[in-house]
Amino acid sequence: MTEIIVVTSGKGGVGKTTTSASLACGLARTGKKVAVIDFDIGLRNLDLIMGCERRVVYDFVNVINGDCTLKQALIKDKRIDTLFLLAASQTRDKDALTAEGVRKVLDELIADGFDFILCDSPAGIEKGAHLAMYYADRAVVVVNPEVSSVRDSDRILGLLASKTERAEKGGEKVREHLLLTRYSPTRVAAGEMLSIADVKDILGLDVIGVIPESPQVLSASNAGTPVILMDESDAAAAYGDAVARLLGDESLPMRFIDEPKKGFFARVFGG
Amino acid sequence: MKKAAAATPASVIDLRFGQVGLLQVRLREVDAPAIKAELAARIASAPQFFQHTGVCLDLSALEHPPEVATLRGVIEAIRLAGMITVGVSDASPTANQLAPALDLPVLAGFRQLSRPPAQLVRAAKPAAQPAPEAAQEPEPEIAAPPPTSGLVHTQPVRSGQRVYARERDLIVTAAVGAGAEVMADGCVHVYGTLRGRAMAGVRGDTNARLFCQEFRAELVAIAGVFRVFETLPEELAGHPVQAWLEGEALRFSRFGV
Repeated sequence: MTEIIVVTSGKGGVGKTTTSASLACGLARTGKKVAVIDFDIGLRNLDLIMGCERRVVYDFVNVINGDCTLKQALIKDKRIDTLFLLAASQTRDKDALTAEGVRKVLDELIADGFDFILCDSPAGIEKGAHLAMYYADRAVVVVNPEVSSVRDSDRILGLLASKTERAEKGGEKVREHLLLTRYSPTRVAAGEMLSIADVKDILGLDVIGVIPESPQVLSASNAGTPVILMDESDAAAAYGDAVARLLGDESLPMRFIDEPKKGFFARVFGG
Repeated sequence: MKKAAAATPASVIDLRFGQVGLLQVRLREVDAPAIKAELAARIASAPQFFQHTGVCLDLSALEHPPEVATLRGVIEAIRLAGMITVGVSDASPTANQLAPALDLPVLAGFRQLSRPPAQLVRAAKPAAQPAPEAAQEPEPEIAAPPPTSGLVHTQPVRSGQRVYARERDLIVTAAVGAGAEVMADGCVHVYGTLRGRAMAGVRGDTNARLFCQEFRAELVAIAGVFRVFETLPEELAGHPVQAWLEGEALRFSRFGV
């Protein structure tokens, strides 16, 4: 059974594309056949983050309009052979997307035997974001521990519960998960940043993962390598844990949420 | 900078918005005597209820725009039946033209109870019906008795969502997020954290109250009297709180103290 997962947030710049790329890699690494689709028509980034930007010939809108087949548009990842990217169009805008067109592409991917289809949503609550979440079975809502991000995610959770196909049909609801990104235990301890408990309290949901603030994320974007593949990084390990929890291992304890204890030399010599 | 002398006298009026339910008389024909007879018959069943009631004229079911003089006759017929016309309720070009001539306001935006189409069809064939029963059906639209138990909402009310309990209480058994709105004609109960806006007694019931388990509201209103909470008073913040109206003033108190 193919599972359609939307990665959304409401707020921009919180780490949706970074997360989509890493989750897609993490899932594909376990042998699953994964497609990740960039829904940010006109402002595409997923291809950059995955290092495929020079290999985009056909895009999502081309497939919807019938200019090409899905196979021609899907870009196979060079590192993991069960991972495929469907890039967004850069020259059009979100009006080029239609609900029927999106459904058609998703159906074709399902027929093609994909295990997971990740939909990388654009920021906002307009058409692109709406269509990215509309057919979802599960949602990963990316939140920064910061007040405007939390407020926007609350709005998005409301939309997931009301403006999706599952909500409209009235059956099983979209499964919602929170992913906290750019978390800094030091700042939380200093009382400068919302804690995991604060976010849970406001949004009423448990987190499926906490990704620590990490300089590796910038390096990863620059290198076109999803951060989960950068082995020495805390963020990579945290994404790995999140993937495991997505796949069902909910008892995995959270890492990187406590302030790192400074060793003797670190305390004496600083840093 | 010298302040202007405080010479403004205390104002003699207060202007406030209120909301109220209003009976509508939808005219199918403009035969004044027939209207009076029909109304008298309907009122006979509950004279106290209708005595001096304000009603609104709905002209949307008329086939042709009526003359002002004809409508004046209708308004008089309504008055003789004991009711007072206070406005015209549909915002059609007809109504917009006639209302000023009748010295009545146009009160648009009514939510109608839907009528089965069969009755409209009957009105179009007067020849087939005996005269008194014919197309004259001014229809006072009285709402069916509303359900008496409150509207129970079990899901969190997310930012940007709005929940409204019409003609009863609203009971929310989850949190109300910042930027969300919960409203009721009756009382509003939030068995969770209230971070958004809560409005009770939305249609003017000054006895309505707000009850919540964890008070962090942005705005509270009862029967149109509202207070914005730029900062939450320490004695209320995060505690179980109830709010009610005492005259013109909103009062808040913490439970269990």
